[in-house]
This record gives sequence, C-alpha cells and structure tokens, in this order.
Amino acid sequence: MSRGAFRLSWDKSILLLLILLVLFGGMNNEYFATGDNVNFILGDISEIMLIAFPMALLIIVKEIDLSVASSLTLASALCGVTWQATGSIWVAVLAGIMTGVACGLLNGLLVTRLGLSSLAVTIGTLALYRGLCYVALGDTPIADFPTEFTDLGYTPIAGTFLPWVVVPMVVAGIVFWYVLHGTRFGRWLFAIGQGDEAAEFSGIPVLRVKLWLFILTGLMCGIAGIGYTVRFASSSPDGALGFELLVIAAVLFGGVAIAGGVGTIWGVIAAVLIWGFSQSYLQLIGWDANALVIVSGVLLLLSVTIPRLLGALRESVAQRTFRPKGTEGAPPPPGEGVAEHSPAGAGHDQGSHRG
Amino acid sequence: MSGGLSRVARLREVPVLSALIVLLLLTAILNPAFRGGEGLKAILIESALIAFLAAGQANLIIMRHIDLSVSSTAGLVSFLIGNTSMNNMGISVPQSLMIAVAVGAAVGIVNGALVAYLKLPSLVVTIGTLYLVRGIFNYLAGGVTVTADALPGWVAAIGSGSILGVPDLFVIALILCVLMTIVQTSTRWGRDLYAIGSNPPAAARVGIPVAHREFAAFVLNGIIAGLAGMLLLFRFSFADATAGLGIELYVVAACVIGGVAIAGGVGTAMGALIGAVLLQAITFALGALGVSQFWQQAVAGALLVLAIAFDRIVALRSTQRINRLAEAPV
Repeated sequence: MSRGAFRLSWDKSILLLLILLVLFGGMNNEYFATGDNVNFILGDISEIMLIAFPMALLIIVKEIDLSVASSLTLASALCGVTWQATGSIWVAVLAGIMTGVACGLLNGLLVTRLGLSSLAVTIGTLALYRGLCYVALGDTPIADFPTEFTDLGYTPIAGTFLPWVVVPMVVAGIVFWYVLHGTRFGRWLFAIGQGDEAAEFSGIPVLRVKLWLFILTGLMCGIAGIGYTVRFASSSPDGALGFELLVIAAVLFGGVAIAGGVGTIWGVIAAVLIWGFSQSYLQLIGWDANALVIVSGVLLLLSVTIPRLLGALRESVAQRTFRPKGTEGAPPPPGEGVAEHSPAGAGHDQGSHRG
Repeated sequence: MSGGLSRVARLREVPVLSALIVLLLLTAILNPAFRGGEGLKAILIESALIAFLAAGQANLIIMRHIDLSVSSTAGLVSFLIGNTSMNNMGISVPQSLMIAVAVGAAVGIVNGALVAYLKLPSLVVTIGTLYLVRGIFNYLAGGVTVTADALPGWVAAIGSGSILGVPDLFVIALILCVLMTIVQTSTRWGRDLYAIGSNPPAAARVGIPVAHREFAAFVLNGIIAGLAGMLLLFRFSFADATAGLGIELYVVAACVIGGVAIAGGVGTAMGALIGAVLLQAITFALGALGVSQFWQQAVAGALLVLAIAFDRIVALRSTQRINRLAEAPV
C-alpha cells in the first residue's frame, strides 16, 4: 500500500520543514540563529516538550489527558508552598514532582478502574487540580525562591549557549524514544492503539499499561512544573492556562494520530521545535502575538487535513487501478469522534499500514 | 410503581435534578440570606450562557463528537457587535443577529465540513478552529475595550431584565433547550443523532445520512455559539479580547453532568441545562455556606469528577439489568 509514489511520511516531512525553517530563518534574520535566541526558544518550549512525550504515548493508546496544565501548575504550587514551609529547595522540588505523580495516578485510577472516558475524567480533574492550586496558594503567587534555583532558568550551561532546562528535555527525549521504539513496552502501546481487545487477548495487560502511562504523564507534569517555577521564578495559581491544548496540538502536528496506534517520538520533537522556532521567527520579524495564535491553529488543521486529502487521493487512484466499477464496499465508517475511532484513514499516513 | 412513573424515575435527568433540588434546599436551610430568591436568580443568570451553549453541544456529544471552538466564536461575536456599536453610535437587533448568525455559521461550516466530509476527528479540528478564531479575534480586538456606554440600551435591558421574576437570559436559554429537546426526542433528525451516537457504522447501514447529520449539527452549533456571543454581551455589557475565554470546558462539563455522556447516544438538551444550573449552584452554595472562595473551584472540580463516576456506575447497573432481563427465561 505504501509502495510507490508517496514515500515521504508525515513525520519525515515535518523534520524537513524544521530544517528548512531554521535555514530560512537564519538567512533572513541575523538575530534568529544566535545563541541567545536559541537559548530563549529552548527554554520557552521546554514544558511543552516534556509533557508532549507522555501525551504522545497516551494518544497512541487512544487515551488523552486534558489536566496536564493544571497538574503542572499544582506541582509548581506545591513546590512553592513546601519551599516556604521547609526552607529546603530539594524537599520542595521533590514535593512538586510527587504532586505531579499523584495527579497522574488519580487520573489513571479513574480511567482504568472505573472504565471512564479519559476525556471526561480529565476535564473534571482539570477543574479539580486548578482549584487545588487556589487552595494551596490563595491568590498570591510565591516568588521568594533562592536565586541559585531561579538562575537555572536562563543561565546557560558553562561553555555553551544552552539553558539548563535542556538537560531534562534531552534525557526525556532519549528515554521516551528508546521506550517507544526500542522496547516490548513500546510495541505494546502500538498494539493497544490498534485495538484494545486484540491486545488484551494477546496477553498485554492493557489496563496496567494505561495506568502507568497516566502516572508517567503526571511525573512529566511534575518535572515540567519545576521547570516552569524555575523559569518564571514564581508559583502562581493561574499559570499555564490553556496549555493542555497547545501540547495536544503539538503532538498531533508531530504525526501522532488521534485515532491511536500511530506516532513517533522524533515527529513530536520536530513538531515542538517547529512551533518554537516559527513563533520566534514571526516575533522577530514583527508579527504580533495574535498572529502566532492563528499560526498554531492553522498548523494543527493542516496537520490533519493534508494527510487525509493525500490518503483519499491515493485511495481513489488505487481503486481505479485495482477494482472494477460498482464494487464499492460498505459506506465509510462515520463518527470518528472523541470516544471511538475507525481504523480506516487514521490520518497520518506512515503507520496505519505497519502491522 | 406504575409503568409511567418508573419510566420517569429512570430518566437520566432525574438524579441530576434531585441533586440540584437537595442542594438548593440545604443551602436555603443553612443560610437564611439565600432564601430571598436573589440567590436563585444569580445562579440562573450565571448558568444561562453555559446552558445556551450546551443545547448545541449536546447534539454533537450525542453523536460522539465535540466542539471546543464555541468559546472563541462567542467571544468574537460579542466583540464584533460591541465594536460595531461603538463605531456607529449604536446597533440594531437585526444587525446584531446578522453578525451572530454569519460568524457562527462560518465557523460551524468549517468545523462541519472537516469533520463530516473529510472525516477528521472533531477534537483536533475544533482545537484548531479554537486557536484560529481566537487569534483572529485577538488581532481585531487588540487593546480595544467595549464598555457599557458604547452599547445601545436594549443590550443592558435584556441583560438585567426579567420575566415573572426569571432573568431574561435564563428564559432565552430555557426556550432554546426546550426546543432542542423536542427536536432531539421527537423528530426524525433528532432520533438520527442518537442512532449515529449509539453505533455509527450501523446508522450508516440503515440509511441514515450520517455525514449530512454531522454537518448540520456542527453548523447549528456554530450558529448557537454565535448567538451565545450576544448573550455574553447582554450579561456583561462589556467586551474585550478575553471575552468567553475558557468557557468551552464548562459547556462540556454541563453536558456530562446533565447526562449527555461522552460515549454518545444518550442525553438531552434539558439535561444539559440542569447540569449547567447544578454546576453554578454548587459554586453559589459553597459561597453561601461560607466556604472560602479558594476552595470553591476545587470542590466544584471534585463534584464534577464524582458526577462522571456516578453516571458511569448508574449506566453499568442499567446494562447489567438489561443483560439479566435478556438472559432470564421467558
């Protein structure tokens, strides 16, 4: 099926797009490719990147977590509160990360034990965790963190222009890439995404895997929450509002199919970098922040529309070649909504044919 | 129990409505200040916008779809009407309706075409249009703020008026939800939505034009979101670039609490309206009972999670009951 004309898969295309974007930006704007600007961009995308990894795994198994922004903010809030209470930044960091894990655990238990839809559950916990941020902080942000801690937000690693937040990002990228593409656990995720029941019958502990993915998402929200606290040098209850949709948009733009079973880590990395670099470039050439929001929306729409149109085109060519007229099958399965998806036309073209 | 009564008791809306009544009674008993009716009035005013939007959203959730772009559409419309009024020294009702319907239908057509005819997942498409419309809105609005003195008198009149003690805003939402429930339960178009949501491939096999129904429901929801922009303006007599920000999740929450399950195939607009009122009533009750405002959102969130879990348990029970009936010897 994937023989012939179109071998350039979605995630390869966006990697190419990223390279072109960096070259184009570097040639047209002298500030774009400087160390300072790249330092800023990498800091700016770090939370999105950290959470996009586990979100990609969740979407591959046909689950979703809308509570990530609230979990991140709650982790940041608890980090701040613990810092004020104990005066130890290490205890505070640990408390923040554990808060994230707890948020993920609750989501996971609700989804796997009660069999609830993760979309509904995490809309609920989105409100719950955000509410708890106000409980923890009131409406006054905590900003008296030690400077050695907050300096990490912008000072480069000695001898380079890279900010410290790059470290967790790179480590997470390697770990997630290996887990998804190099381990049995990773193959289980694709199997679950292709079909829960078949995976269950072939001996994969589907519910346990999903529970761990939610916990993992919580853990990454915790780490991102610490990064957020460091970069903004404060914990405030209204941080990272609407951030969950941005993460999901980046993951889907990176070639992870919302219908499940398809996706790569480097597609996600490329997508988040494209988002970061294009925002930076447009800002440098003087576009205002509103135009950037439009760009995010358009990128997301294109990322689902183009593969679908190409798929339809290929299908019609294939039908004309291989099938006599009048033997069309059943009408296409409708209702690729939020709860269930038909495997046909999963969107991004590279993976639905892989067995 | 007679047949009719037990059927009513089994309606998905009944537990939500009971919870609402118990909550209001408890609050009224514990806090005398709440008894005057002003508290109830405030709840109705606050829940009107969410209920109005939930009427259109319910159609989509019934079909296993979702539309997150409604907040951007409503915000854009409220600003456009306000801004037009500011630049032209006033605006008439038909002009405002025209803006609301045109903008709403445009967004609805984009969403509907991509979801129904290109078969793209509605969650992704409407997150995309959420950004797209919000971006256009922010671009147009910039730093402009529309205040009450730039708006014609009828805007404030509807916003603060009431009919027989019921706020106008809520009356408008109630009328829409009643009409929508009649459409959902008693017309062929409405019944088709449930068939599609229960089993999409089966619905296509029995000849329901699935794509046309999906398209129409998205366009209708877009128009409702546009009209909700007018409600937004009535409510606040104020519009700027943040109008309507973030309300999409409350709309979905109202539907889910009111018995319109994410899994599709069940629920009505009236249920969603009750869900919207319950959601507001919880916040008000907590305030009236002296709970710190910082706890209110957390408790509302916890109750939302509980409502979702409770609904699932009830649904499991009724499936078990049906299975037992099916297995029982005749």
